[in-house]
Order: sequence, then C-alpha cells, then structure tokens
Amino acid sequence: MSGDDPVAARVRLLAQVEEAARSIAPLWPLSTAIAVNPLWDLRQMSFHQAVRQAQQVLGISGYPSWALFAQAYARGRVTAEDLRAVIDGGSRAAASRDVQAWDEPELGIRRWQTAAERHDDIFGSEVAASVDREVAKWCAAYLAGIVPAGPTGGFHAAWRTVVVFDPSARSLAGGAGRKRLAELGTDPEDTILTCLDLLGIGDEDRVPELARHLGRMPGWAGHAKWRSRWAAPDHPGPSLHLVDYLAVRLCYEAVLLANEAARPGLGTRRTGKRRRARTAPHARSEGGTHALYDGHPDRAGGAVVVDLPDDVRRHLGGLSATALADVWLAAYEAHFRDRLLAALDRPPLEPPPCPEAQVVFCIDVRSEALRHQLEACGPYETLGFAGFFALPIRFGPWWSDEATDLCPVLLRPSARLGERAVSSTGAAERELTGRQAVAASHRAFDATRKGALSQFLLAEAGGMVAGPVVLAKTLAPSWYQAVRRWAHQVIAPAAAAAVDVDPPASAMSDDEQALLAEAALTTMGLTRRFAPLVVLCGHGSTTENNPYASSLDCGACGGNRGGPSARAAAAILNRQAIRALLAERGITIPATSVFLAAEHDTATDTVTVLDTHLVPQDHAEGVATLQSALDRAGAATAAGRAPLLPGTDGRHRVTDPAGRAADWAQVRPEWGLARNAALIAAPRSVSAGVSLGSRCFLHSYDAVTDPDGVALETILTAPMVVAHWINAQYYFSTVDPDILSAGDKTAHNIVAGVGVVQGAGGDLRVGLPLQSLYDGDRAYHEPVRLLLVVEAPEMLLEAVIARNPVLQDLFDGQWVHVAAREDGHDHWKIRRAGGTWVRWTPAGARTEEDAARG
Amino acid sequence: MDETWELTQMTRIEVVINGEDVAVAEDLFSGAGARGFTAVPNVSGLGHSGHHQGRLLFNQRDGLTLLTVVLPPERAGALLEGLRSLLANRSGVMLVSDTWVSRPEYFQ
Repeated sequence: MSGDDPVAARVRLLAQVEEAARSIAPLWPLSTAIAVNPLWDLRQMSFHQAVRQAQQVLGISGYPSWALFAQAYARGRVTAEDLRAVIDGGSRAAASRDVQAWDEPELGIRRWQTAAERHDDIFGSEVAASVDREVAKWCAAYLAGIVPAGPTGGFHAAWRTVVVFDPSARSLAGGAGRKRLAELGTDPEDTILTCLDLLGIGDEDRVPELARHLGRMPGWAGHAKWRSRWAAPDHPGPSLHLVDYLAVRLCYEAVLLANEAARPGLGTRRTGKRRRARTAPHARSEGGTHALYDGHPDRAGGAVVVDLPDDVRRHLGGLSATALADVWLAAYEAHFRDRLLAALDRPPLEPPPCPEAQVVFCIDVRSEALRHQLEACGPYETLGFAGFFALPIRFGPWWSDEATDLCPVLLRPSARLGERAVSSTGAAERELTGRQAVAASHRAFDATRKGALSQFLLAEAGGMVAGPVVLAKTLAPSWYQAVRRWAHQVIAPAAAAAVDVDPPASAMSDDEQALLAEAALTTMGLTRRFAPLVVLCGHGSTTENNPYASSLDCGACGGNRGGPSARAAAAILNRQAIRALLAERGITIPATSVFLAAEHDTATDTVTVLDTHLVPQDHAEGVATLQSALDRAGAATAAGRAPLLPGTDGRHRVTDPAGRAADWAQVRPEWGLARNAALIAAPRSVSAGVSLGSRCFLHSYDAVTDPDGVALETILTAPMVVAHWINAQYYFSTVDPDILSAGDKTAHNIVAGVGVVQGAGGDLRVGLPLQSLYDGDRAYHEPVRLLLVVEAPEMLLEAVIARNPVLQDLFDGQWVHVAAREDGHDHWKIRRAGGTWVRWTPAGARTEEDAARG
Repeated sequence: MDETWELTQMTRIEVVINGEDVAVAEDLFSGAGARGFTAVPNVSGLGHSGHHQGRLLFNQRDGLTLLTVVLPPERAGALLEGLRSLLANRSGVMLVSDTWVSRPEYFQ
C-alpha cells in the first residue's frame, strides 16, 4: 500500500509505539496515585507469557525469589503436600509444560536492547546510561515548568529550544553534536523515524527497539503513557507524551552513537571495562532478594537449603527454572486458598434479624477487621461495596472552585456535584474568610520560599518560628496535630454543609440518580429488610509527610478520601423523589430508614459519622449508640493491628496507630493493603464470624436477587478488576522491588508533583514503596495472585465470563484464580483455564486420598 | 451514482475496538490527517471470541466502541496500515467501504 508514503510511515510508527508501550504501565501523578497491574496491557497473554515479555523489556523476574519460597517452606507456609498437589494436578502440569515450552533454551530469555545498549555491550561504553541521565533531567525540568512549554508542541519542541544551550549536551556530544540534537526533526514522529533510520533499525525491529527504550526508564515512560492514554484531554500542566519522550531519547542515541562511531579505535572491543551480563533476568542475584532459580530446589544460590522429600525433589528436578518457579508459586497460592476455603466451608452465619443499623463499607481489605469487630459490638449488619457508592462524580466543596474526580480510573465522572453551606450566613462567611486567609498565607509562603532572594530572608526571619515547630512536630507529633486542628478550627470554624443533589442545582437528573442508586443497592444485595440506619462508610488515611498518601486512600474514589462520595450517595438515597422511583423499580425503602455517611480513617481505625446535622431528631439516639459501637470496634481493630506494625520498641508513638499517623517522620503509618490475597463476592453470612486477617476484599453479593447476572457482571468487570490491579501491584512490587517498587521512602525526592526519584535524579519510581511491602529484609506482603471466591451458580458465572473478554483474559490466563459454589449446601469448586471446574480438595486430603488409592 | 447528486467519493473506515484503545485509534486518525470521526460507545455484538457485552456499568475501558472515520481515498491506505498493525495483537473489527459526501472540504 504505501511503503514510502510519509503519512503512512507516521501512522505505522504510531501503531508501533502503541505496541511497544504495552509492556509498561501508566504511572499516575502522586496526587492520585493508584495501584495498577504493571503488565495490564499484556493481559491478553497468559501470566507466564506476559512475564516473559516483561523480562525482555524491563528485565524483571516476575516470580517470587527462591529465598522467599525457601523461607515459606521452612515455616510451613508452603508444604510438601502443597507441592505434591500441584505436581499431581493435571491442569497445573499442563500449565507447567506451557511454561517449560516458553523456557526452552533455544527460546532463551534475552533482554531486548536499544542500539546504545548493544554498543555498550560490545565496546564497554556507557552511552545508554548517558541517554537515561539526560532524558530524565529534561523530563523533570519540563514537568516542573523550568523548561517553558511553547504555545504549540510538547516536550520535544520545548527540549529542542533549550538543549542547544545545555553544557552537559556539549560535554557529551561536542558543540556540533549538541546542535545536531535539535536538528533531527521538528515533528516528533518524523524525528523518531529519522533517528531509527540513522540507527539502522528496520521496520520489523522497531517494536522491540522502542519497547526497550520505554523499558529502560519505566517511570518517565509510564508517566508519558498515563498522559497519552489515561489523562483527561484537558488535564492541566505540561504534557509529556510517548512520541515526544521517544523522540528525545532517540535524538540523544542517534547523535551519541554517531559520535562514538567517529571515534578512533572503533571496531576494537575495549578491554578492562565491565560488560553487561546477558543472562536471563530472573537469574540475577541482587541484594539477596533475587536468588538463582537453577532447577534444583535444594540449592538457592548456595544460601538456603530446602529438605524436600525424594518424590517431590524428583519431580521438580526435571523442570526448567521458570516452570519450577511456577510450581512453587502455585503451591504457595494453593496453601492460602485451602485455608481460606476451609474457613468458609461451614454453615452461613445469618445476620441479626432486625439490625439497628446496616453499615456499608468499602470492599478494601482494611474494612474487614473493622466489620468483624463492629458485628461483635451489637445488632449491626455490615455490607461491602466499592467506596464510590456507584457515583462517578467530580466533587468540589462549597468553599472552593477546585474539584476532584471521585471514581475508579476505569470511569470518567458523569457529573459534577457541589455542596452548599447550610449554617447561618455568618458562620459560612467566617469559614470562607478563614480559609481564604490560610490559603493566602500558604501562597505567600510558597512565593517567598521560591524567590531568588526572598528565600534567604525567609530562612533568616522564619528560623526562629520554624525551629520550635519542627521540634514540636518531631517530639510531640500528636500534640502538634491537636494544636494545628485547634488553630484551624479557630481561624476557619467549619460551617455545616450538605451535598447538592436536588436538581437543577445537581447536574444529575432524578432518573440518573435513581438508576445509580438502584445499581448500588441491587449489586450489594440490599433491596429489602432496610434497617432504621443505613450508613455508607467511605475511607481515607490521615498521614503526615507522605508523598504516597493517596495510595492509602480509596482506590474506588481515584485515590482520594471517600467521605464526599458517601455523603452524596446518602443524600440521594434520602430524597423522596428517588425513593419513589426506586419503589417503581421494586425497591421499597421504608420512611423510617435514614441513610447516613461516615468515613473510616484506616490509619487510626476511627470512624466518624458525617453530616450529623442532617440526622432527623428521632434517629439521633440511634446514631449516638452506633457511633459508640464504631468507637469500640475501631479501638479493638487498632489494638489488633498495632502488634503487626514494625518498630514496636515500647514507645507509645510507635505502637499507637494514631501516633504513627501524626508523626511526620513515620515512613510506615499503616500497612495499607499489604497481604491482600482474595476477593469474596458473596453474602456476608458466608464470611461473618471468620477472622480473615485483613487479607480479603469483601463485596456483598446475593445471587438470589440477580437471576440474569447483571450485578455479578458489574462486580467482576469493575471492583474485581480494581482489586486485581491492587493485588498485581503488590505482587510485582514485592517480587521485583528493584524495578517495580518505589524503593526506600527515606531517599525519595518529589519531582514536579508527578512522582518521586531515588536520591538526586534519574527515573521516576514506579509501584509501591518498600515500606509498604517489606519489614526490613523480610517481605511482609505475600506475593500471590488474586483468588476470586464467589457464591453463585456455575452457569451464571460462566455466562458472565463468556460475554466479557477481560474476564476470559484474567481467568484463563491465570492472572486471577477462581473458586465458587452455588450456595451454602454446595461444595467449593475450582475453575481451570478454559472453564472446566473441579471439586476443591485441600492439599493434605488429596494426598491422603492418592496414597490410599496408590 | 447519479452525477447530478454532486457528491464526492470518500473512504469510510469503521472500527470496533475496546474503549481503552480509542485514544490510540484517535492518534492514528489524526496522524492520517482525518479531520473528524464519530464514536459510539458501549456497542455489543457477537465476534469470533463470543458475545461482547454492551455497556458495562462501572467500566468504560472494557466496553466496545464503534469509531467511524471518513477521509479521501488517497489517505485511507496509510490509516488502514496503521489500524491493521494496531489490531494485530488485540481484538477488534475493521470495515472499509466507499462512501460519498456532499461537503468534501470537511474531509480533506
């Protein structure tokens, strides 16, 4: 068709860039940092195949280290019975054969390389590292506004205007080379094509070449991918797109390699220089966390010995490294699955017949312990639902023009909701004036801090004040926070407000509100038997000095606090017009039932009922009683959680969760969602009374009220996908901390508000900080793939899977495991790839049965 | 085609792709010089991998979107090549047909 047509070449390049970018994950800015499966765009492949591709592009391992498995074996977390069960399992054996095929020596895993890496490999030079350093420097400068973005054009255009003055570019490329950098093209796509031609990269080699360019710095590339593929088109600030990023990288590579080629002595391998290892990435041994899988389970780089029974040793000894890791991972996961299903394999524990309140928590694993405690406090029923309560909204408080998107990133907000002050005019004016004064002082401080001369004056003049403040924050953080809250309340006392949900002030019509309300209630199975109080409880995490604060907030609210979503949903469900529309759809909410909003602070396990001024007088006593129960449940939850937090050296501020939350030096205010492992979509009666160790996302679901599977489909295609992202983020950050974690928090520096770098510069770090995953050298998070546990008829489940390719990808590709039963009288079954089901049998029992047969 | 109708021949390309791939398809349209396109989100149907659900209540990325773009035939080849490359590794449908428009300047 159009081999040399420049337009065709550009379009083909855009498709190649898209293909190359599949191996890297989008990286959200810090303010809305959310967990994401780093290999999400490879999900059409099986887990093993996707890991293999990521090994080539990113150099990851993709599997837990042998040391982790060995330690797990030593403490009984994975047993010989688990391994035997995996070895004996037909489908697992087939899967392992598949893995083995991918791991054949002739297909040996070799990292893809850029032209600079190939050159470095041969000549011992460090061109690739120089390109990384320069590109990272300019990305940071551009996003920080130091390099002005032009009225048209993006990063590439802005960089071209300044690189010609860059002494570093002159040092690297010489005067002529520096000039040449900016002359390789004005349009980023044409520039890429020019550079690829100069580097001799043919059309068929472009995808791996470009992929490796992106894979060398997955942070900056991930930010560019987020901007190109996920950010709203009108997102403010400088925009760094994939083609701009690649154009700049390739300019450096083309010019620096041309310079290298012109140097005398080319063609002779330099000696005495380090050559890059070209071994399989998972064969690396770094810092003790990536020991060697060498196909022999009794050796781990000589560090750990596992005393396996002979029969297991025989079976595992013949497997390739990746197949061996696959078996161990499957056994490690099955061990958890067996214990969870055994705990759930008992008669359902029905909720109280006439609960005083029903409290709907977010499905977040941190809600589980609190729900368990609250149910023990009295006649309270709890439910689980995604914390945005079915409202994809953009919300702004009444005293600000700014608004925040409160919905999962799989959605775009469908409406903007605001609020109105319902206090007296005087009270509202006082809060507004106070907030404006605080905001003005912050602006003035920032301006002074950034001024060329004023920053020195500020240091001189402000030191006397800053010193005692820093001392107070350091030595008495709880006291300091209390004083700060008191001062804020004095300056800007909070006026009562309410979310504006009544049309026309609300952008959502009655019909839209009723539709979303119906979806929320039917999906969680709450369509009858309403309690006098129905509390929608969002969540957030109060921490200090924490760039990753949003990762501890509600993922269903786009990495924000969930209180506003809960308030909006409660207000909608209290409207008479909505209740009338719901009644027409078969959901009758008694007039005596009131919906309330609350927010769970996961750092302190305190729950605050919101908008108490809107509570009808005849429900006030019930609310007070509930608040008391929530306080007791929260205290019990915090007490249960405290011993799990590291640093229990007896000092109150370390062992007390509230003290940790207030401490600006605390790098681990809470464990977040570490150890998450399963999502249970079933009536609460299936899991009530069982302590699940804060490891399970709990989504209420009642198949009886969902004959056509619409609610199940909603759960599996949205909350489960989000849970999978969280689970996969924790998994990969734990198994590949060097590449897919954000590293040590103590060395983080924030760059342009979009991310953090380790130390002074370099790539943006992706994934979760080490402090969210590890306790010292020991992995606190257990890297397992998500287990979906559903109580639903097999046919219904398969019908939902059949009409949603994303579910086929996740389940058949072994990204997510599935266990299900029809009801409390049924046996648990395990879904195999392709849709076959086998009855669940615990590993030990299966081995005993096999022994009896054999 | 009746010449008295005074219509101009163009090429119409219709693509059904995942919601999450719409952004890159838009890039390809733009790269090929298309001046506009039409998007119909949440379409359903039956394909070689089975039934595809229409609207997913809380997931706009995995629902299917129908994109229709019209451009001069001489520019269609470039776009087709890009779309074919895009669809090589992901599910989707591409239909190409001749069409006629009354205001060709809008599509040049």
